[in-house]
Amino acid sequence: MAKFIAKRLGLSVIIFFFVTFIIYILEYSLPTSYVEKTARELATRPGNTKSAQQWIDELNAQYGMDQGIIKGYGIWLSNTVRGNFGDSWSQTMPVTDLFNSCIWYSFVMGLISFVLEIFIAIPLGVVAARKQYSFTDYAVTVVSMVAISMPTFFVATVLKLIFSVKLGWFELVGMQGRYYTTLSTAGKFWDLANHLVLPILTLTIVGIGGLMRYTRTNMLEVLNADYVRTARAKGLPESKVISKHAFRNTLIPLVTILGGSLPGLFSGALITETLFGIRGIGYYAYQAMITGDIPFTMFYLAFISILTLLGNLISDILYAVVDPRVRVN
Amino acid sequence: MNIYKDSDGMDRIAPEGRKGNIAIHKSINEELKERERKAREAKQAGGPEEADSEISLDSTERVKVLSPGQLVFKRFITNKLAIVGSLILIFMFVFAFIAPIFYPYSQTQIFYKYDNSLIDYAQAKERTEYTLLMLDKDAEVHYSVKNKLTANINQMKSASETEMTLISSDGNTYNLVKNADNIYSLYATAAEKYATKSGSVKYANYSTIGAVLTYEAGAEEIDGLADKIKEAISSKTLHFTIGSDEFTLVQDKKNYTVYRASEGFDYLVKEEGDAFEELVSENAEGGRFTYKNEEYTVTADSDGITVYHVTGQERIALLTTYVFDAYDPSFKISEEFEVAALMASIESGEFSADGNTYRVVSEDDETLIYNTSDETNPVAAFSTMVIRRYSGEDTLELAFKEKAREVIDEMAETGAKTGKFTWPIAQVDADGAYTYDENGELIKEDREVTINSKNDSYVMTVEQVVYLIDTFARPTSQHLAGTDGDGMDVLARMMYGGRVSLMVAFVVVILENVLGIIMGGIAGFFGGWVDNIIMRAVDIFYCIPSMPILIIMGAMFDAMKLKPYTRLVWMMVVLGVLGWAGVARLVRGQILSLREQEFMVAAEAIGLKNSKRIFRHLIPNVMPQLIVTATSGLGGVIITESTLSYLGLGVKHPLASWGTMINSVSTAEAMKSYTYIWIPVGLLICLTVVAFNFVGDGLRDAFDPKMKR
Repeated sequence: MAKFIAKRLGLSVIIFFFVTFIIYILEYSLPTSYVEKTARELATRPGNTKSAQQWIDELNAQYGMDQGIIKGYGIWLSNTVRGNFGDSWSQTMPVTDLFNSCIWYSFVMGLISFVLEIFIAIPLGVVAARKQYSFTDYAVTVVSMVAISMPTFFVATVLKLIFSVKLGWFELVGMQGRYYTTLSTAGKFWDLANHLVLPILTLTIVGIGGLMRYTRTNMLEVLNADYVRTARAKGLPESKVISKHAFRNTLIPLVTILGGSLPGLFSGALITETLFGIRGIGYYAYQAMITGDIPFTMFYLAFISILTLLGNLISDILYAVVDPRVRVN
Repeated sequence: MNIYKDSDGMDRIAPEGRKGNIAIHKSINEELKERERKAREAKQAGGPEEADSEISLDSTERVKVLSPGQLVFKRFITNKLAIVGSLILIFMFVFAFIAPIFYPYSQTQIFYKYDNSLIDYAQAKERTEYTLLMLDKDAEVHYSVKNKLTANINQMKSASETEMTLISSDGNTYNLVKNADNIYSLYATAAEKYATKSGSVKYANYSTIGAVLTYEAGAEEIDGLADKIKEAISSKTLHFTIGSDEFTLVQDKKNYTVYRASEGFDYLVKEEGDAFEELVSENAEGGRFTYKNEEYTVTADSDGITVYHVTGQERIALLTTYVFDAYDPSFKISEEFEVAALMASIESGEFSADGNTYRVVSEDDETLIYNTSDETNPVAAFSTMVIRRYSGEDTLELAFKEKAREVIDEMAETGAKTGKFTWPIAQVDADGAYTYDENGELIKEDREVTINSKNDSYVMTVEQVVYLIDTFARPTSQHLAGTDGDGMDVLARMMYGGRVSLMVAFVVVILENVLGIIMGGIAGFFGGWVDNIIMRAVDIFYCIPSMPILIIMGAMFDAMKLKPYTRLVWMMVVLGVLGWAGVARLVRGQILSLREQEFMVAAEAIGLKNSKRIFRHLIPNVMPQLIVTATSGLGGVIITESTLSYLGLGVKHPLASWGTMINSVSTAEAMKSYTYIWIPVGLLICLTVVAFNFVGDGLRDAFDPKMKR
């Protein structure tokens, strides 16, 4: 097992190396105007002592943009390995500070919607599979299919129209109400919670369909398995068949993919956070991408790559751990 | 009994009650019943041995053999959701690719409409500024006087004076004389300096700190001055006399400047007596007096008083607030005409200009000018009310002005803030030009003119038909889904947007499948190090976060200012390149399992070429899986494309895209007001993607009911 993990880790490091290299090439080949624009902005700031050209040179040197791709990537990588990510251009603060300030909003949103998805999708998927071709089954299938098919922005807009504009329960965008600063600590908490409801709802709706479908398919497969037929044949009550024999086996693939998506809770939601103005990592990443904030973009993309690799690793390990039939090698 | 031909050309007997050819349209049911009856008759006729010719239980005729394709098709069409999905897709394709051919509007056509819009038509204002009409073209009025004429006249009005003497900074004297309300004459006077009296003279300085008195150079010391000053300061009169001399104190903090009033007049021409001096001091602030039948003017400034002896004066200009309007627009009113008319209104009432004789008749608040040859129709009029188009142009007809004046007078009397009257107003066409009928006359329509009093002016607003872009029109019979913010037909843009979405989806999916099949095929077939390398590449591409990359590329295309079509192509390429890894993995997995099967061993055994083995035997067996994933993938690409377009980083204006259309009404206000634009578009996206997913699912079940999802 340890050997397997070590091998996968080694492979992940190599993949990470190449992924970040590709991303670096992309950032490297961005029109130079981005660096230049930032340099000119920095040069006009009060208290600034360097000329625009000096800033251009410095910024280029910082990210190895003046060194050629290979060498530049080496510079970036050595900085990154040492935890030196530089300053975000758009937010003018160290990337790590910005990360610390925003990641927890994203994580809380991700976690809540993740839990909601599990508690809504899995029972529904099981019910649908138990009564295959019934009305419930069709309803669940159609709902999950529609949920998969709706673009995030449309869901967000519809929710805004219903809950913010028509009902006026929540605010359209932002994280703080008008009187946020005058509120008590508990009041601030509820204010923030109130602002997070719609984004979490959006994330849940968009994510629920896939899990529902996956549960249903796997449950169907298990229900058709020989051991379930055996369990029924020996006269076990249906509830026991489902809960003990079928559902537990359905959990194997579920746990695998759910475990694999755990790191993804940190990745933030680019579109949702942007649409609702939630200052999570996805929001800042989107801002960084469209304004050409190379330090934060590079950091974010590297971070996402690590999360993806970690997710794959976790699901591989879980697959082997949860299902004893699977041998590691 | 009627006999008719059926479709097989056989004679048939029409059932009872049917007449002639009408019975040709027999229902299928009847036809079947007939056949059954015939078969029964034939069996009875044929005897009992034929009854045993029924198909035996193990006969292959009992089994209906379907080809694999038929089997898949049969399974597919029994799936309700798949049928629904297929129908939606057929509708979408017709909607996006065929409907635009017959739809009259294109995606970039901008629609205009005529609309009643309230425009500021004219403005009326009481004129308070005096215009200077020169009588003598060569005469000049010094600017220091010219600039202050209106102010001086207002001063005269408030003091109810009829005459005022103005001295220009270059020393010339002018006389302003009121002739009538709103008409003043400016006289230039020829005058000689007659006498001067210098003002007070700085005499000494007194400081309360230490009570120091310092005399100015050349000033005689006076005994007791310091005491007098102290007294004046303590009594706060700041004024005292010593003998015949008058002293004034001017305070500056702790210092006082002592001024001594000057003594007497310096006569430049001839000594005059006290009576003269008294008259001067009566008018010491500037004025005019007559002394011994001679006129004198007095001016005062900080240096003292100067008296001028007026030796003669000449009227050089008229000042008036009146504005002239001609009844006939072709009648040009010159400055000479204006001057003559004004003079006539003061004096005789008649004047001649340009060889004609005119008469001036005062009427209420305006004055009419008649040509003496035609006493009924006035040629011009003047009043203090200026009525102009709102732009400032004097293109309004006099009748309109008179009507407006009348209403404004009423308003002024009753104190009403608004007034109304109806007047024919010239109408404009699509290009904003005036419209003319066949006789070259302006086309006019009666419109209600509303007068609103604003501060000291009156603004006249008229509802006028304006030609403007028809933005955000609600759905009508002309625009079934309304128009958008650019005045383009929403339905047309929905169609073309669907075309873009579907086209992007197909191109991207084909591209990623071609790439994926090639890479996955090579990896799976050859195995070994080739497989290893390709699969690591697949791992890498799996790991690349595609949405951020697409956003960065979108921002980059923005910076490069690519054309909408070039951009579209690039976007498809990027999407395809980012998506091939999944296909490659799938193809490789399938090929690995297929490779071990007997038919592949056989293919190898008979010595088939590699390419033939891959493309004839392996790929076709992977196809079902690929078709399934590709169908579902189409939906995914549509979502990605519309999300990018929604963010403004995908398909760009003027190309229509569903995402862009929703984005254009995404502000809080627009979202609320224009639900008829974004909800149908959003539903189109959802429907299309759902349909692709349904069809994909249906295909999966049809190809292999046990296939894992």
